Amino acid sequence: MAWNESGNGKNPWDRGRNDGPPDLDKIVRDWQQRLSTFFRGGRGGQRPAGPAGNPINAPLLGLVAIVVGVIWLATGFYRVDAAERGVVTRFGMYQTSTEPGLRWHLPWPIERVERVNINEVVPFKLQTRMLTADENIVVVDLVVQYRRADPVQYLFNVRDPEATLQDISESAIREVIGKNKLDFVLLEGRTEIAVQTEKLIQQTLDEYQTGMFVTKVNLQDANFPSQVEAAVQDAIKAREDKERVSFEAQAYANDVIPRARGEAVRRQQDSEGYRARVVADAQGEASRFTQLLAQYQKAPEVTRRRLYLEAMEDIYANSSKVLVDTAKGSNLIYLPVDKILEQNQNRRPAAGPNQPVQAPAASAAAEASTVTRDREDRRTREAR
Amino acid sequence: MNIRALLPFGILLLAWIASMSMFTVDERELAIKFRLGKIIQTEFEPGLHFKVPFINDVRKYPRQVLTQSNPQELFLTLEKKNLFVDFFVKWRIVDVGAYYRATRGDELLAAQRLIEIVKDGVRSEFAKRTVPQAVTAERRELLDDMLASARKNALTLGIEVVDVRVKRTEFPEQVSDSVFDRMRQERARTASELRAQGAEAAEQIRAEADRQRTVTLAEAYREAEKVRGAGDAEAAQIYAEAYRKDPEFFAFYRSIQAYRRSLGKESDLLVLDKDSEFFRYMERPDAGR
Repeated sequence: MAWNESGNGKNPWDRGRNDGPPDLDKIVRDWQQRLSTFFRGGRGGQRPAGPAGNPINAPLLGLVAIVVGVIWLATGFYRVDAAERGVVTRFGMYQTSTEPGLRWHLPWPIERVERVNINEVVPFKLQTRMLTADENIVVVDLVVQYRRADPVQYLFNVRDPEATLQDISESAIREVIGKNKLDFVLLEGRTEIAVQTEKLIQQTLDEYQTGMFVTKVNLQDANFPSQVEAAVQDAIKAREDKERVSFEAQAYANDVIPRARGEAVRRQQDSEGYRARVVADAQGEASRFTQLLAQYQKAPEVTRRRLYLEAMEDIYANSSKVLVDTAKGSNLIYLPVDKILEQNQNRRPAAGPNQPVQAPAASAAAEASTVTRDREDRRTREAR
Repeated sequence: MNIRALLPFGILLLAWIASMSMFTVDERELAIKFRLGKIIQTEFEPGLHFKVPFINDVRKYPRQVLTQSNPQELFLTLEKKNLFVDFFVKWRIVDVGAYYRATRGDELLAAQRLIEIVKDGVRSEFAKRTVPQAVTAERRELLDDMLASARKNALTLGIEVVDVRVKRTEFPEQVSDSVFDRMRQERARTASELRAQGAEAAEQIRAEADRQRTVTLAEAYREAEKVRGAGDAEAAQIYAEAYRKDPEFFAFYRSIQAYRRSLGKESDLLVLDKDSEFFRYMERPDAGR
């Protein structure tokens, strides 16, 4: 029960001297008053009284006694920080709470002071695994911040209030989590859970009169246990996959549809072009025909023959020919058509495959048999 | 001289006797005053009190709310499942005389006996509930019924049960493993559902796109054919109008045009009858006359 037991190890005399004189007057008056009330209470045995009647030692003893007494009284000084309150007990009984500043109490063994920091917000962390209402297991990270709001209750009512708060917090968070389903805990329920937990903790703290005040409960993290982590990650990946596959399909659609539109326009344009061409061709040919017809009508016989001969001339000029005299000859003529064609082929190597042709027997009625087996020919006919 | 020399000893002796005849009781403490081993007073306010040295004896006990935790222990639920449960009891000495008589003032012993009393209650409460009920139920509600009887029993120890709280309710390891399995499966189910939904959406989008393409192209084809048809019709009309003027000449004109276009290529081989019109003058230059 030394004067420095409740303090922080500083010498109270030093503190007394360091503080300015204006306060001292009040303090001196204060302790004088206290002393007088104290001695009026009838317990005066503590005073270090010097034996007055001694002729030789009296002055010396008196001096020593006074010095000792002053020192003893000076041990009653203490300082309360701005954030603190001092709680004074006299012989163990609660006396008063003191505000910040330099204070004095009756020195040991009469009064004691304990200082409590009431403003400091103290956090502590809690990480535990627990069951949810739907019997899933969840890992929760909780931070509880508290303050020692009532120093008297804090000091006297509960042994080890911090441990008590820890117990209460753990019980409370489990109770709240136990009432909610996993998805709620993990997703939208965080703030609500924190609020409920805070309320529950405070309620219990008040019930025990711990003098503590919970300033904030923060549900920092609520997560799946590590044993399930891989599956959870896969589920998250699946969500991404879902998006990705959709996007891929969208990309496909974005590729296909404009192309189709383009193709549609191309068909449209092609058809318009075709129409224009066909009509123009028709007009051209019709015009040509009409003009020729006008001249033909003036000299039909000559024109007709001229046209015929010119056409035949062009045709015969370019192709291989075999002349057959049907009137004189036998019924069967052998024509080495393949040889002839081969010859032609050699002249124009790019031509198609030759086919042996058995020339039909030229009948008497035949005017001009044509053998046109070439593919090229067909192609030109198609293209007109 | 003698008296003067003894004076300091006298003062010390007095001080010692004074200190022996006084005791303090803290706000945090309860005290019992004994006279030769017999309890004579238990109600003490905090503060300074007196006693007779050597005859009176004083013992002090905590007045505060104390905590006793019970470590994890297996409890059976209604459906005979095991649950690991730990709880703590908040208690306080209210009747210090009874407390002293029942426990000799040994706090450990008292706490132990208190735990026995409370544990029975907790056990019976868990036996009444299924796991979800036990987990979900308000902890307070879970313990209220049980608290009534525990309170009564605890009072015989001079103890007030302030509160009983369950902290953990957990499955044993094997059960936890199966819970983890279930959770994993649930996640896997969600995952495959999500993937399937993704495939579904993707297929819809693709099919929609393909349909749109087909429709667009088909419509374009329809329109194109219409236009072609119109062109063909117009051309046919133009041709017909022109050729109608002299169908016979048209037949001739068109025929020789066709001969020109279809015959007379280098690769062609023409087998010709000398009797044709073209060769009329070849052997008989005067045939026309």
